[in-house]
Amino acid sequence: MAEIKKYSEDELIHLLKNRDQPAFAYLYDNYSAALFGVIFKMLEDRELAEDVLQEAFIKIWNNFSNYDSLKGRLFTWMMNLTRNLTIDTIRSKGYKKQSRIQNSENSVNNISNIANVTESFDALGIRKHLTLLKNDQKQIIDLAYFGGFTQEEISNQLGIPLGTVKTRMRTAIFELRKVLRN
Amino acid sequence: MNKEDIISSGLLELYGLGFSSPEETLQVEAWVKHFPELKKEIEEIEMSLETYAQSHAIEPSPEIKNKIFASISTSQQGTTRSFDAIENNTTQAKIYHIPSSFKYAAAAAIILLIGSIAFNYFYYSKFQSVNSELQVAQNKIEQERQANLAMKTDINVMSDKNALPVVLNGTPHAPDALAKIYWMKNTGQVYVDPSYLPSTPEGKQYQLWAIVDGKPVDAGMITAEKGIYHIQKMKSFGHAQAFAITLEKTGGSPTPTMDEMYVIAKI
Repeated sequence: MAEIKKYSEDELIHLLKNRDQPAFAYLYDNYSAALFGVIFKMLEDRELAEDVLQEAFIKIWNNFSNYDSLKGRLFTWMMNLTRNLTIDTIRSKGYKKQSRIQNSENSVNNISNIANVTESFDALGIRKHLTLLKNDQKQIIDLAYFGGFTQEEISNQLGIPLGTVKTRMRTAIFELRKVLRN
Repeated sequence: MNKEDIISSGLLELYGLGFSSPEETLQVEAWVKHFPELKKEIEEIEMSLETYAQSHAIEPSPEIKNKIFASISTSQQGTTRSFDAIENNTTQAKIYHIPSSFKYAAAAAIILLIGSIAFNYFYYSKFQSVNSELQVAQNKIEQERQANLAMKTDINVMSDKNALPVVLNGTPHAPDALAKIYWMKNTGQVYVDPSYLPSTPEGKQYQLWAIVDGKPVDAGMITAEKGIYHIQKMKSFGHAQAFAITLEKTGGSPTPTMDEMYVIAKI
């Protein structure tokens, strides 16, 4: 019988620096779905998204020594690595970005309707809180976080100045923190 | 720039999102060194985004994990770890002793099983024989039921208020023979009760005749069901002067064989 372990973030980082495979399995079990959600939303292609997820985790394993906990949380590092990898994939596959931008609002909003989406009970609970976010706040987080768009692209897309993108993103994250704190 | 200005600049959010430019990133990292409290602020931003991502999590196919682990295991450098793994495996191998109580339990279980099979066989054969006995009994009940039904019809005929009972007495040819007729005065229906006629030889059958205006008219064949005679319905007659029963060849004759007349009655 496999024992179910729970690591603190510091323990986990220490073990991963020492290339501990059970710790890596733990990392995968706890974060793969969140990362996969982002990849899938960016690519909208399950098979391709799974390839990228695989590549991302292998990269996380191989480059773990590059992670610096002083610069941010482990998940943020993994997320940035994964997002960059996904953006690389989009570019290499010659994705038509313009059409993706036009579809992105719908796809992000309808993501829960896509088949094969499994959600944990927790996710549903948090999702309920997220309905308290204003639509334009949600939209800007989704475009950046799940769309992989740069601030400039969002500014062009929404037809709002770059400064407004920054302010709105800040407000959105501020509201998100408030919502999640409750 | 003071702490409050930094917090309200929106740069920390961009940093947390991973959207800050390289210059902005360096700037934020420099600020964190100067104001360690900012680390907490950034961490909160990161955690809120992490929760946001978790709430949009999608489970990948289970085989992806295997693929990843297969890939990192084969590319693992340095062999000490794999030797460790082998050593661990050997030390983990254990010799299991079967406790003697288990042997007794196993023996008991086998004996119980054999006993159970024997009991099953015994009860199954018993069930088979009881089942066939039941079949026989059910057939018998059905026969009784039908006999009962026939008897009920007999009684109905005999007790009908319109029935005129006529006793046909034996002729000199068969002095002991006797038959009865129930003639329904309202409908003209004729029932015959042949219970007291002697049993017929092979190939022969009793035939009822009505004497109408001095001539014998066929009134039908008397049938026996499994050798037992019951009251049975014959042809109907509005009027008749006499009834007689003769023994004829099976299926009947157009005219009665007078030598073989068994019973007769005049009305």
